Amino acid sequence: MLTYVLKTLWRHSTRTLLTVVGSAVAMFVFCMVGAVQEGLDRLASGLDADRNLIVFQENRFCPTTSRLPEDYARVIREVPGVSDVMPIQVWTNNCRASLDIVVFNGAHPEQIRNSRPIRLLAGDWNEFATQRDAAIVGKNLAKRRGLAVGDQFSIGELSVKVAGIFESRVPSEENLIYTNLAFLQLTRGQAGAGLVTQHEVALTPEADADRVAAEIDARLRAKSVATKTRRKGAFQASTLSDLVDLIGFAHWLGYACVGLVLSLVATTTVMSVQDRFKEYAVLQTIGVRPGRTMRLVLLESLLLCLVGGSCGTVVALTLLALGGFAIGAEGATIAFEPSFRLGVTGLLVSAMLGIVAGLAPAWQVSSLSIVSALRQP
Amino acid sequence: MALVELRGVSKSFRKGGETIQPLDNVDLEIEAGEFISLMGPSGTGKSTLLNLVSGIDRPDSGAIFVDGTEITRLSRSQLADWRAANLGYIFQTHNLIPVLTAYENVELPTLLLKLSSAQRRQRVELALEAVGLSDRAHHYPRQLSGGQEQRVGIARAIVAHPKVVVADEPTGSLDAATSEQVQILLQRLNRELDITLLMVTHDSEVAKIASRQLLLDRGRFIDRQAEAARC
Repeated sequence: MLTYVLKTLWRHSTRTLLTVVGSAVAMFVFCMVGAVQEGLDRLASGLDADRNLIVFQENRFCPTTSRLPEDYARVIREVPGVSDVMPIQVWTNNCRASLDIVVFNGAHPEQIRNSRPIRLLAGDWNEFATQRDAAIVGKNLAKRRGLAVGDQFSIGELSVKVAGIFESRVPSEENLIYTNLAFLQLTRGQAGAGLVTQHEVALTPEADADRVAAEIDARLRAKSVATKTRRKGAFQASTLSDLVDLIGFAHWLGYACVGLVLSLVATTTVMSVQDRFKEYAVLQTIGVRPGRTMRLVLLESLLLCLVGGSCGTVVALTLLALGGFAIGAEGATIAFEPSFRLGVTGLLVSAMLGIVAGLAPAWQVSSLSIVSALRQP
Repeated sequence: MALVELRGVSKSFRKGGETIQPLDNVDLEIEAGEFISLMGPSGTGKSTLLNLVSGIDRPDSGAIFVDGTEITRLSRSQLADWRAANLGYIFQTHNLIPVLTAYENVELPTLLLKLSSAQRRQRVELALEAVGLSDRAHHYPRQLSGGQEQRVGIARAIVAHPKVVVADEPTGSLDAATSEQVQILLQRLNRELDITLLMVTHDSEVAKIASRQLLLDRGRFIDRQAEAARC
């Protein structure tokens, strides 16, 4: 019977191919939108989203406008519940939303090594730690910009030597460039000495993040620059709030794709079945049960959806793996990564759509009057 | 007990706003191994009777027994199972599945039975051999002549070794020469394989190949041979 279904699908090869391609394109978009959504979810609930705090200048949003004294780190370290503080200077080529944002984070190399979940894939850590203009580049950015160890990379007034390429357990970090703090502080002259964009605070396991954040702001209120401290996840979500709205809208695009596949496959299956009522009547006459003819139609629509959906899903995952895509704004980035969950979701949604799209024509076939259908020309 | 038995079968349907009752309290018995031809003017219910015996239509009243099973009591799914195991149907317009080869078309009914693939292959090969189309097994219906298509249809009808084979105008869409070949084939199947056949035809010459010829007229069967003998 599978031979019958496969040959039936191939009977109108153009129609079948167009339906498969349509499903593939729609599921491709669905997966891409899903990858953006997953990237955003990772930012808000990732490894360090709740256990790290970001201390930023109060009422400032873009990294170029936040200027905090580096020695705030000393005050912050004294707050109960704080295990470590990393002063970070952020530099970005674009404060607005961009698909090719380049973000530099300047920090002390040893602190980067100890606190960030990164691993060098190529290059030399000592070279990074000892050379003033050395930088280590996240693998996605390196892929996107075609950077390799030993390259000189210049953007705006910055020029760094690539001392290493790293991967990270936090996907958005793979779109960053780490440099020495002092190097990045002095990019805009001596005025930047002793100032940083933000302090990243690691908490002790038992610390209450919100209480510690409030305590930090309270202790720094009397200082020269007031601060606003938030959980890292909340800070990033707030920084990317415009993008979050946009991504929320794109989510509907994903649902629209689901609807598109459903109507496309349902139309094809209905057309295909209506052309063949007599054939199904013949099958039932020779003894095929009505329920089995129903399953044949469902299998037909399932195959259409699953083949198209699998192709779209695989292409999307491959492109996500090879492309190193990210969108960013104001120094924060959302990485679009392929994931097992995304692949399984793509396949399950395709299969579910295949079954739903075939239900109405399958029911028509299983309940047809054999005698009337046999009278059709 | 007869192999096929119709007891008080009535069937009516609506056509163009009026009710037509082609079969009204009809009784019929067909013995195993018989070859019956059924004739009659258009609209007398020949095809309706064939559909009722095949279990693809239901009577308004009465009962139909085939080999002791009252098929009028079976559900749609039970009827499908029963047809798969007991009935072969030869259509006027062949009704082969166009995307399947002759072999695959003949194989279809065997897929519904509990047979090993070797048994299935053997049955299909024998059926194709019986209709003289072993050399056309891998041809698609569009690559066959009308007569060859009908022979594939006949092979499909006999491959599951059914108790009854019904044929609805099996020569109706064939030219004279091909029609004769099919008639000879049907006679052979009846005589050599002892297949019980019920054939509907408009053609009185074709009807003569049957061992018993019935005329359906105004809801009543007339045995033409008995009538002829009386005259």
